[in-house]
Amino acid sequence: MQERPRLINLENISKDYGGVTVLSDINLYIRKNEFVTLLGPSGCGKTTTLRIIGGFESPSSGRVMFDGEDITQLPPYKRKVNTVFQKYALFPHLNVAENIAFGLKVAKRPKEEIRAKVEKMLALVNLRGYEKRSVDSLSGGQQQRIAIARALVNEPEVLLLDEPLGALDLKLRQEMQLELKRMQQMLGITFIFVTHDQEEALTMSDIIVVMKDGFIQQIGTPKDVYDEPKSAFVANFIGQSNIIRGVMVHDELVHFCGADFPCVDKGFGSDAPVDVLIRPEDLLIVGENEGRLNGLVRSVLFKGVHYEMIIDAGEMRFKVHSTVMQPEGSIVGLDVIPFNIHIMNPMPPQEIESLEEEPA
Amino acid sequence: MNNMALPPWATWVMLLGFLGFIGMIALSIRRNRGVKRSLFAFPYGLWIVLFTLIPLLLIAYYAFTNKAGGLTLDNFKTFWDSNYEMRKQMLDLGVNPADLGIARGNVNVDTLVYSLWMAFMCTVICLVMGYPAALFMADRSFKLGATLVILFIIPMWMNFLLRTIAWMSLLEDNGLINTLLAAMGLPKMRLMYNSQAVLLGMVYNYLPFMVFPIYNSLSKQDRRLSEAAMDLGANAALTFLRVTLPLSLPGVVSGITMVFMPSVTTFFIPRVLGGGNTEMFGDLIERTFLSADNWNVGSALSLIMMILILISLTLLRKADPEGEGSGTL
Amino acid sequence: MSKFLKRGYLTLVLLFLYVPIIVLIVQSFNAGVSRAKWEGFSLHWYERLFNSPSIMNALYITVTIALLAAAIATVIGTLAAIGMHAMSKRPQGVMMTLTNIPMTMPDIVTGISLMLLFIFTQVPRGYFTMLLAHVTFNIPYVILSVMPKLKQMNKFSYEAALDLGATPGYALRRVILPSVMPGVITGALLSFTLSLDDFTISYFTTSPLVQNLSTLIYSEARKGIKPTMNALSALMFVALLVLLLAVNRRASLANDS
Repeated sequence: MQERPRLINLENISKDYGGVTVLSDINLYIRKNEFVTLLGPSGCGKTTTLRIIGGFESPSSGRVMFDGEDITQLPPYKRKVNTVFQKYALFPHLNVAENIAFGLKVAKRPKEEIRAKVEKMLALVNLRGYEKRSVDSLSGGQQQRIAIARALVNEPEVLLLDEPLGALDLKLRQEMQLELKRMQQMLGITFIFVTHDQEEALTMSDIIVVMKDGFIQQIGTPKDVYDEPKSAFVANFIGQSNIIRGVMVHDELVHFCGADFPCVDKGFGSDAPVDVLIRPEDLLIVGENEGRLNGLVRSVLFKGVHYEMIIDAGEMRFKVHSTVMQPEGSIVGLDVIPFNIHIMNPMPPQEIESLEEEPA
Repeated sequence: MNNMALPPWATWVMLLGFLGFIGMIALSIRRNRGVKRSLFAFPYGLWIVLFTLIPLLLIAYYAFTNKAGGLTLDNFKTFWDSNYEMRKQMLDLGVNPADLGIARGNVNVDTLVYSLWMAFMCTVICLVMGYPAALFMADRSFKLGATLVILFIIPMWMNFLLRTIAWMSLLEDNGLINTLLAAMGLPKMRLMYNSQAVLLGMVYNYLPFMVFPIYNSLSKQDRRLSEAAMDLGANAALTFLRVTLPLSLPGVVSGITMVFMPSVTTFFIPRVLGGGNTEMFGDLIERTFLSADNWNVGSALSLIMMILILISLTLLRKADPEGEGSGTL
Repeated sequence: MSKFLKRGYLTLVLLFLYVPIIVLIVQSFNAGVSRAKWEGFSLHWYERLFNSPSIMNALYITVTIALLAAAIATVIGTLAAIGMHAMSKRPQGVMMTLTNIPMTMPDIVTGISLMLLFIFTQVPRGYFTMLLAHVTFNIPYVILSVMPKLKQMNKFSYEAALDLGATPGYALRRVILPSVMPGVITGALLSFTLSLDDFTISYFTTSPLVQNLSTLIYSEARKGIKPTMNALSALMFVALLVLLLAVNRRASLANDS
């Protein structure tokens, strides 16, 4: 990925609400023309971060820089960013064209220009001919498109999207994901997208910012955060995983479930406790005694593309994805290639437990 | 209109306050400086202080002072004993009021008890009459429900005094009912100037306030609930008793509130239909203030009534914490 | 219970509500003065009505007070609702409690307390004081009709307008006000009708020289109501009926679209 100039810089942003800290010392830069996703469970501070960039909240401390200028105290109507709100916030008393034209009318653009731009935006969101319709008569997906058009018509340098697809059904959601990506590439502007859906984040983003409890957990490309999660939390939040307590024997060798496994990670020291992450699709099922572990197949679920099996091996319960089904109650061998074992610094035990209780 | 003149200071204060407020908003909008939106409630805040809080404080002030302005509880004692003042003066003169046969006057207390009793009866009658009406209106097989609501509202649009007076022409000795009775060869009846006539006028005026909240809570009810009850083997009567009725209780509570509150303070109806034989607490307050010109005792009576209403409201709110059905008009 | 019984019961209850009104309207067309005897059809009470200066004056006062009180209460109440909506929880709670006080206060106490205020401040009671009193009891109803509309509004609507470059003032005029308009209109109509119908509060806050219809009826009630009053109430009843139907039609049209 080529280096693009930095557009937005969040410097040491913190936010408290009456003594409750929602954001702790957030440092984040966003480049021009980047699709950045803020990802995390509810209450992680992702929406607050977005609202601080939009100007709807001011941080308790820290600065928001935009193109080298401090905009921390600038009201929303003077910022060169526009927002697509949760549940759209379309104005119910205005029709489709009037909704889209709102920002242009405020800016007192000439009538002809407004008409032409509205038409162009409607074409962009595939809703040509809907000018006179009332917004209440539109479906959720259509309202969504109007909300996007209403923001984009002002030619913002940055578009903020606050869980914009949350209210749509699965199929429409997937369609809109592709369409948003297409628009972003075509218009060449920065998108900052907030979601709690990891699949959405992986599909669309150039950069994913994983957040939890007001802290940034990891910043990286979708591939980075999926393949090389920095913590068990990130690993578990992005995709399903098996997280096992283990001991790093020495570089490139880890011990867990009573067996030694070669791996590719280094620098954790010798005989150090670590968390080991193995994705369900990376566990290989082999014949009994042919792998490093043996396990009992507890249950089998058909998931469409693959089978999901729960296999007990040693002290651990593994989740395994495979296209070949093993009957319940059978004994199988399990193995994993060194490249698919990810070693992470260990998490405190209570956090592991909470992950097991409510897997993402 | 000859009495429209207002004192000059009032005109100026009003004008200045209003212009100042408009100017402030205009200025802050012009300057693009965000007007703090909560400031918009400012004129109302001022209004409440001037025309709700200060008047209430005045009532409290008069209730706890005597004509000379000194602090006293005599006004409340007068509520308990309407002869209190007289007896006090006699004792001051060294005369034992009992010797003259002047005992405790129980007019005020009796009037209050009578008002509560009338309000209670009115509420009960409205409930007994109104619940079935609301239930039948909410019946989904009955398509006229919404129209019926309007039919219940329309009579309330006629001036309440005239509506009450209209009953006079029905109930009078030479009224419509008695004329009909006479035409049928039956003896005339004395229908007016008694408690029953007053009660009739009250029920007539307040019945819609009972019907609306109950209708509201019944028609909001998910019909699947009663279907589920029937599915589980309850017959129609049991379904009503175990499902429909308990779920409509918030509406019933609102209805009771909306009928009982104005009933206790009913004013005017007893005068027209009761002919002065049946004074209620509202009339007593008015008489104490205007005819007897005793603001101190009148204020004490008003205060007692307000406290009574606050107590019953708190009790009723407890039964209907969400305030469902209130403000249904 | 059979459908027949249910309908029969409802008809009886409605009959109870309507008989006095029908009697009153019929009497207004009665040629004679008697309340019980029909002496032939006549419009002569209507003629007398329009020639009665006291009734016409009272009508004028009633209608102008209702219009003015509704207008003033609607402006103050709508602003108040918007302001209260923007407040944080605690001050909003305090304001709501204050709003509920006049609504739970018995009319007679409201009237008397205002009377005390006017006497205490030596403002002569008359048209102006009656207007103030009517505005006072109307404002809470306006607030209670506008508040739900504000709560229903998408809470991001205001922010969306700011986001699109609107100043707070512009957002208020072009986004918030149009969204709460139905509540504002309901509040205004409610105020108007409450004001039109009020007796108790007017009675205590005006002088015998400035009478609205209710106080005029009251002062005549002792002497015995003249059939001209019946004529007037029949006319007002029809006028209000038309108004109500128009409002209802508006509401159902709004629901359909």
